[in-house]
Amino acid sequence: MAVQTTNGSGVIPGFDFDPQADLEQSPAWFLDGTHSVPPWTPLFGWFWINFCRHGMQYGAEKLSLPTVKGWDWRFKNGGGYLTLLLVKSEEERREREKRFRDAIRPFVEDYDGLWRGFVKEMLGHYAGLKKLDLATATQIELLDNFEQTVNVCRRMWEVHMYMMYGTYTAYILFENMCRELVGIDDTNPLFHTLISGFDNKVLQVDKTIWKFSRKAQEMGLASIFLESDPKDIAARLDAHPKGKKFMAEFRAFLDEDGWRMQRMAEINVPTWIEDPAPALTTVKQFLAKGGEFNLEVEREKLTRERKRAEETVLAKVAPEQKGWFTTLLRLAQKSGVFSEEHDHYLDLYAHAMIRRSALALGERFAKAGTLDAPDDVFFLIPDEIRKAAINPDQFDLRPVVTQRRARWREWSRVPNPPVILKDGFDMDQAMAVLVKSNDPIALKVVVGSMPIARPELKADLHGTCGSPGVAEGTARVILSEENLGEVQPGDILVAATTSPSWTAVFSFIKGVVVDRGASLSHAAIVGREYGIPVLMNVFVGTQKVKSGQRIRVDANMGALYVLDK
Amino acid sequence: MSSTNSRVAVDRDPGRPPSRAGEEQPAQRWIWWLEELGKEHNDLVGKKCANLGEMTKLGMRVPPGFAISVDGYQKYMELTGLAGRIEAYFTSLGDELRHSLGKQMEASRAAQQMIRAEPMPSALGDEIERHYEALCRRCGARDVPVAVRSSGAVSMPGQMETYLHVRGSAEVKRRVVAVWESAFNTRAIAFRLEKGMPVDRAPIGVAVVKMVDAKSAGVVLTVSPLTGDTDRAVIEGNWGLGESVVSGEITPDHFEIEKATLAIEKDVHRKLRWVVSTGSGTAKADVPAEMQEEPCLTDAEIRELIRIALDVEKHFGVPQDMEWVVDRDLPFPENVFWVQARPAKYTPRKKGDETDYLVDQMARLFRR
Repeated sequence: MAVQTTNGSGVIPGFDFDPQADLEQSPAWFLDGTHSVPPWTPLFGWFWINFCRHGMQYGAEKLSLPTVKGWDWRFKNGGGYLTLLLVKSEEERREREKRFRDAIRPFVEDYDGLWRGFVKEMLGHYAGLKKLDLATATQIELLDNFEQTVNVCRRMWEVHMYMMYGTYTAYILFENMCRELVGIDDTNPLFHTLISGFDNKVLQVDKTIWKFSRKAQEMGLASIFLESDPKDIAARLDAHPKGKKFMAEFRAFLDEDGWRMQRMAEINVPTWIEDPAPALTTVKQFLAKGGEFNLEVEREKLTRERKRAEETVLAKVAPEQKGWFTTLLRLAQKSGVFSEEHDHYLDLYAHAMIRRSALALGERFAKAGTLDAPDDVFFLIPDEIRKAAINPDQFDLRPVVTQRRARWREWSRVPNPPVILKDGFDMDQAMAVLVKSNDPIALKVVVGSMPIARPELKADLHGTCGSPGVAEGTARVILSEENLGEVQPGDILVAATTSPSWTAVFSFIKGVVVDRGASLSHAAIVGREYGIPVLMNVFVGTQKVKSGQRIRVDANMGALYVLDK
Repeated sequence: MSSTNSRVAVDRDPGRPPSRAGEEQPAQRWIWWLEELGKEHNDLVGKKCANLGEMTKLGMRVPPGFAISVDGYQKYMELTGLAGRIEAYFTSLGDELRHSLGKQMEASRAAQQMIRAEPMPSALGDEIERHYEALCRRCGARDVPVAVRSSGAVSMPGQMETYLHVRGSAEVKRRVVAVWESAFNTRAIAFRLEKGMPVDRAPIGVAVVKMVDAKSAGVVLTVSPLTGDTDRAVIEGNWGLGESVVSGEITPDHFEIEKATLAIEKDVHRKLRWVVSTGSGTAKADVPAEMQEEPCLTDAEIRELIRIALDVEKHFGVPQDMEWVVDRDLPFPENVFWVQARPAKYTPRKKGDETDYLVDQMARLFRR
């Protein structure tokens, strides 16, 4: 097709970016830099574009958000581009608001029940998918498993976006109320203290890994960890009698909680179950650091501080407003827990399920000569997988893969532009559309607060406070999850952004600087729980700061100082 | 047929003893069996009696007993001539009474003295005796122990007289008069003055109810009294009679029940003292060592209490504060008795209001 050759895409039927038609529909399309840099493989892109898109529109519709109908998504050169679907008339807004009032109630009345119910539902779906023994399954069973996985992924995004829209709506209201009644906003350290000191599933997994580091110490296995290259740890442990026992227990833990990849929004890297090296590297880092698990000590302190902060804030709230304000505060506190837990139970788990199911078919395809290698399957889209699923020996999909793989390499070489604008439409106008949408997710995760430059601080870089505190240490610039092993205890992590696979290093570093982030982004939530300063929206941190430099981060003031220039 | 009679006919419990049919002219009746009563008889027999009657209608097991209506009090005051004498006495005190606590105390002593000195007219005494004996026959025992309690049409401080473990018709009559007398204790007088009510009369009902031989007793609240959480119910109880729980002298066993799941959380305390029946009344005593740290209710009893309490809450539409007694000898579930059910006093969380407000504020977020 002509369009496909000109835009060099033609990967995701119906959703490849078409400059003419799509800019006609909306004048501004934003790159999802958090999830689609580096570029997605075609199969993952297909899942994300189809179902994240579906989930957002589903969530916005279920909640009947008055001003926004979710997001539209397009795929371009491995990147996800999004635009907002605005409610067009005041009359429609009013109609939607009426339904919104009923739809949002469950979030206020029984937030925990709502979220626990969805977690239970999703774990049930995953358990159903995992029941199939992939090694002995017939082709028909494998295809059926894949189709079910498609549906589970679709359902995951429905739950994801319904919950996220509702949760962030409450959170934004809390921020507004804090500003109005208490005079603090989400860049104020007191605000962050109010929402710190809560356990969540991701932190529980970290703690289990820490316990394994203690176990390794007790079993006399510390030297194997400390002396081995991360990729060799598993093999060396398996060859050691006690190490074998350790690995058996470690694998049992991974079978439960290891359904995650180092990169959250991709399926082309192994899960912890396939390759325990990343998790074992964390054990190694805990061993190198020694001492107690910071989080326990930190949690008590944070909880005490939070109680004090609550008293301080509530003292400024009129008695007749305390009731609802407290309810709202509790809701906001749950937002952080949700933000972390949904990564674990929704994105990471569902994506691991896609990988599991697709790779099982990939193995058969490789055996039948349909593909050269099992992971070539990530360069197909579901219709192509279906084409060969039952009778792989009848089809040759290698040419498709060869062509797509070459293109994918090209996508990685040339970065996608952060925004695609219609002629005559500028960035300010584009941001105005985002703000006008009142879209809670766009506001809290994509836009964030802009740092205020304060010349009197004589800082080298400015940012916003994601977690309060001041720290001084060696900068460690990490651009990809693969390099997390380089982080040393006491470092200050400098990154573009972080995701749950980065969590474990938070326990032994002194601070975090991220180029982009808002108060509900991962780095801020986890930083608060570990009680370390997080400076966000620095924009050029990864470009200006060099690994090894001594830096000082003052998150309270929103300032970063490079000490040895 | 008078309106009184038709009301009773409608409300009549088929299980009531037949002996009372036609025993008196309907218009003159001033003693009623509990099961003949309902909440609509509040003004006739007072709150407590009307409530016990209503409870029997809801199918709750209430100890058998009868109610002496406010007409009984009026008859007593008129037949003895007390009504006129007391009225004259209060008139003589004039306005001074309103402002002087000393005068109120003096008036109380005087009025109560007048009542106490007046023997119960036999026309009334015989009627009470007949009902008490009928109650004994129903229970299959002589001199069955009863509780004699006041039952005011409006809640009035000071009118909370309760005599437990009263036995024999002479004692019952004496305690009924004592309840009438309590309408003139100082607090009741002060209350009526303050509310601008007539001070020289205070129609009051009396409940005469069989004592349950209590293994344990206590309260159920279908709302958490501290947090106002209506998703939870609370049971508190101790061995023996309920007075030890209500008085707050001991730390009772505390059971919390989540209404949705009926999950029980138990907080069993060391219960050192209890109230037991003696031959002629009640007394405080030490709980036998082996019982102190045992829960005073079995799981089955807890579930039965909650089942009924939630039914009652549903019927009245508001959280309930209920008093229960578990009989020592009867088999489960016939051993579970109720002696009180009233709307619970608690600070509502105003969940609905708060939710409405928050929902409203959330909607505003989307108004550009």
